[in-house]
Amino acid sequence: MPGSLAALEKGDLKGVSADYVASICEMCSTRCPISARVVDGKNVFIGGNKEAKAFGGKVCARGGAGHSMLYDPQRIVKPLRRVGERGEGKWQEISWDEAYEMMATNLNDIKQKHGAEAVAFSSKSGSLSGHLFHLAKAFGSPNTFTHATTCPGAYVIAAKAIFGTKLKRDLGNSKYIINFGHNLYEGINMSETRGMMKAQMDKGAKLVVFEPRFSIVADKADEWYAIRPGTDVAVALAMCHVLIEDNLYDKAFVAQYVEGFDEFAKEVKAYTPEWAETISDVPAADIRRITHEYAACAPHACVDFGHRATFTTEEFEMRRALYAANILIGNIERKGGIYLGKKAPAYNKFAGEAVAPVLAKPGVKNLPKITAKRIDQVDEQFSMVWSSGGVYQSILDATLEAVPYQLRGWVMSRTNPMQTMTDRNRVVEAMLKLDFIAVCDVYISETAAYADLILPESTYLERDEEIADKSGKNPGYYVRQRVVEVIGDTKPSWQIFKEAGEAMGLGQYFPWQNMETLQLMQVNKDHQLLKQIKDLGFVTYGQPLMLREPSMVSKFAATYSNAREMDEDGTYGSALSFKTPSGKIELSSTKVEKMAPGRGVIRYRPVELKQADELYFIQGKVAVHTNAGSQNVPMLSQLMSDNAVWIHPVTAGALGIQHGDAITLTSSVGTEKGQALVTPGIRQDTVFAYMGFGSKNKELARAVGKGVHCGNLLPHKTSPVTGMNVHTTGVKLAKA
Amino acid sequence: MSQRYVIVHDENKCIGCQACSVACRSENNVPDGVSRLQVHIQGPFGEAPNLHFKYHRMSCQQCENAPCVTVCPTGAAYIGDDGIVSIKPEKCVGCMYCVAACPYKVRFMNPETKVADKCNFCKDTRLARGEQPACVDVCPTDALVFGDTNDNNSQVAKMLLQRANYQDSTHLGTKPRVYRIPTKKGGIVS
Repeated sequence: MPGSLAALEKGDLKGVSADYVASICEMCSTRCPISARVVDGKNVFIGGNKEAKAFGGKVCARGGAGHSMLYDPQRIVKPLRRVGERGEGKWQEISWDEAYEMMATNLNDIKQKHGAEAVAFSSKSGSLSGHLFHLAKAFGSPNTFTHATTCPGAYVIAAKAIFGTKLKRDLGNSKYIINFGHNLYEGINMSETRGMMKAQMDKGAKLVVFEPRFSIVADKADEWYAIRPGTDVAVALAMCHVLIEDNLYDKAFVAQYVEGFDEFAKEVKAYTPEWAETISDVPAADIRRITHEYAACAPHACVDFGHRATFTTEEFEMRRALYAANILIGNIERKGGIYLGKKAPAYNKFAGEAVAPVLAKPGVKNLPKITAKRIDQVDEQFSMVWSSGGVYQSILDATLEAVPYQLRGWVMSRTNPMQTMTDRNRVVEAMLKLDFIAVCDVYISETAAYADLILPESTYLERDEEIADKSGKNPGYYVRQRVVEVIGDTKPSWQIFKEAGEAMGLGQYFPWQNMETLQLMQVNKDHQLLKQIKDLGFVTYGQPLMLREPSMVSKFAATYSNAREMDEDGTYGSALSFKTPSGKIELSSTKVEKMAPGRGVIRYRPVELKQADELYFIQGKVAVHTNAGSQNVPMLSQLMSDNAVWIHPVTAGALGIQHGDAITLTSSVGTEKGQALVTPGIRQDTVFAYMGFGSKNKELARAVGKGVHCGNLLPHKTSPVTGMNVHTTGVKLAKA
Repeated sequence: MSQRYVIVHDENKCIGCQACSVACRSENNVPDGVSRLQVHIQGPFGEAPNLHFKYHRMSCQQCENAPCVTVCPTGAAYIGDDGIVSIKPEKCVGCMYCVAACPYKVRFMNPETKVADKCNFCKDTRLARGEQPACVDVCPTDALVFGDTNDNNSQVAKMLLQRANYQDSTHLGTKPRVYRIPTKKGGIVS
């Protein structure tokens, strides 16, 4: 394979230090603090960074296996130009100069003929997206996208609508956790996973899980309900109904902080547990009992608002209903509830002194003014999504149907829409239609396989990046540092997009020399601070603060002599305000009503996710893989290379399917072959597969043709307001 | 013996995520295709909705009465002063008697070194540096505790007194030193 690491002579890994180096993982988007050391020049032991207490100095299997990607012979280490047809798999090695020239010629050509907005830029978020999107702005295109609408977008958008900002969970201090399919024991988010396990095992918290599948989190739960897929909103609304009708809600909290309660209360009057049972298959008596138990633990209880939010077209109502169940027990800024991140500026203001350094944001003035509208900006209902990564799949509509206008180029960095976006055929069609596609990646991903140009990025173990904010209840920073010297002819993305920008004639917008200059700009040239952050890898300042938690506030006020004066009740409750039009928590919202008529008040709407003769098809995460990004990593591929389809014994029996049999799943858009995993751990009307398998490009040699390709079965459907790509559909199951 | 090293695996806390398996492979240069440590997720057992998985640690059990040591014709397999079932590579002739004799099926021939191999609690890597075994070091949910039960104040000594626990296949008389805290679902309630 041209351009792959296999073509290079195998040498020893050159560690930057004989000791441990603190850095940041990139095997998933949680980005845990890590500490890594080269072992005998052969491989790298990656553990957690012990400085990061909430992460426990721990790392998961994906994080531990990062080095196996580093020296994977199938990794791409030279820029590649397509020489055959798109997707044909014929590549030629080129130099970086040739690669940049190719980018400049093609993109500038599109810009000249059709305007810069005809090029879309999409990236995994983080330092990578920062640099790619900066290039987009300098180039003049408003069309920048993250993967948000194919994964976590809805919980963010729902939070913006209600609170004006994102919130965090304090699961570690919860006494009662209600979980709607947020599988923290397989979709590992280290601090939250550890927090929940601690709460459960060491502090006796109760965990109730509503999920169609018997996942690991369902296994660890005190109670598991195999809820009908996509009906979580009904159970959440019924819980709100019980909290209000049975007088269990926090009236003082609602009076002080909440806007639009009366409209919401009126709406949920009809949403009885008995009504929810008919929709969700969760017994009414259990919904009532669980809600009472939950309220009894208030405010140190939490309804987890989830992460991957692609269950239903009614995501917006569902996630808002989950937040509502938190708001009603007044757990905001209370231990075990949900809270706002405390970054340095806000924290210092409370303390009355500079407890934590405030980082500068290196930026460039006089960027070109962009007048063109984003492609997802025509439909007003998505206006909260624009600043949160955009409606990713709108790239397909703009490319294939010129809605709202024709896209002609696509520059991608570490994103794999061919797997994560719905209707794979449509992604292929769009990619075949575009004039120019450049992809920056570590592997020739399924998406990269259709590119004209592949820019090989250094893995995170070879990259230095900006200092990142990791504030929780108190301010914190951490930084990614290279653990080994760069292998082959790869570059970090900040360098790739800076050099590409220079080749495109946009050099004036990239005034920094290298990452060190950027880091120094961040710390206002405080070399000592930079050294401290680099040595420790993870630093926090001050002590945990939740504004309505008396024990924390009194300790905080006693620590800092100039601290804000406490309210009469011993809290900072009077300082709690929200970035909403009213400054309050907007349980019902006139802003939303204006954006999306009929949605100002949270309401149940029936949805049809499958036909009567079909089974629900749902997906999820497994602890040893990251959605669409890790299936070709050698160590992880060895742990799991296939995604057998979970089928209930009764469903399998009716079709004569036995464990291990070859099966087919057919949906409205595609057919996939797979293997049957017959298990009682799934509803009879549902089949399940882990996401990210069944790659269809030969370049991912370990992953090709193994398992069910989920994106190929999911029809193109976008949920209102949140712009989420819906990942639940109906399929017909048959023995192959 | 000066030390009596054991590992306690809490099956309540274990989520079967394989972080331990990967860390072990990285630290000890375990080649592809063989492994010193895995956690098998078995089941689910029971009737819905009262299902449960079993999280079974597959690794050397550090038997006090170790069949692999008994059958080894050259003395390559031995129990060290630390109580850890160990291998002297220079004495191993690759006869594979130990691989056959191990009732837990956790010994293998290392395809690179051609020597019998298995978990040794990271004796010559991490323990030698005063660190915890790799699996314990990375375990996301703190399901593993390592220590010396000869030290009455050690966490493992206390845990084994306070928590219901079991060892795998004790009827074989092997006296394993991997202790397991059973999941409270379906097993012994602790």
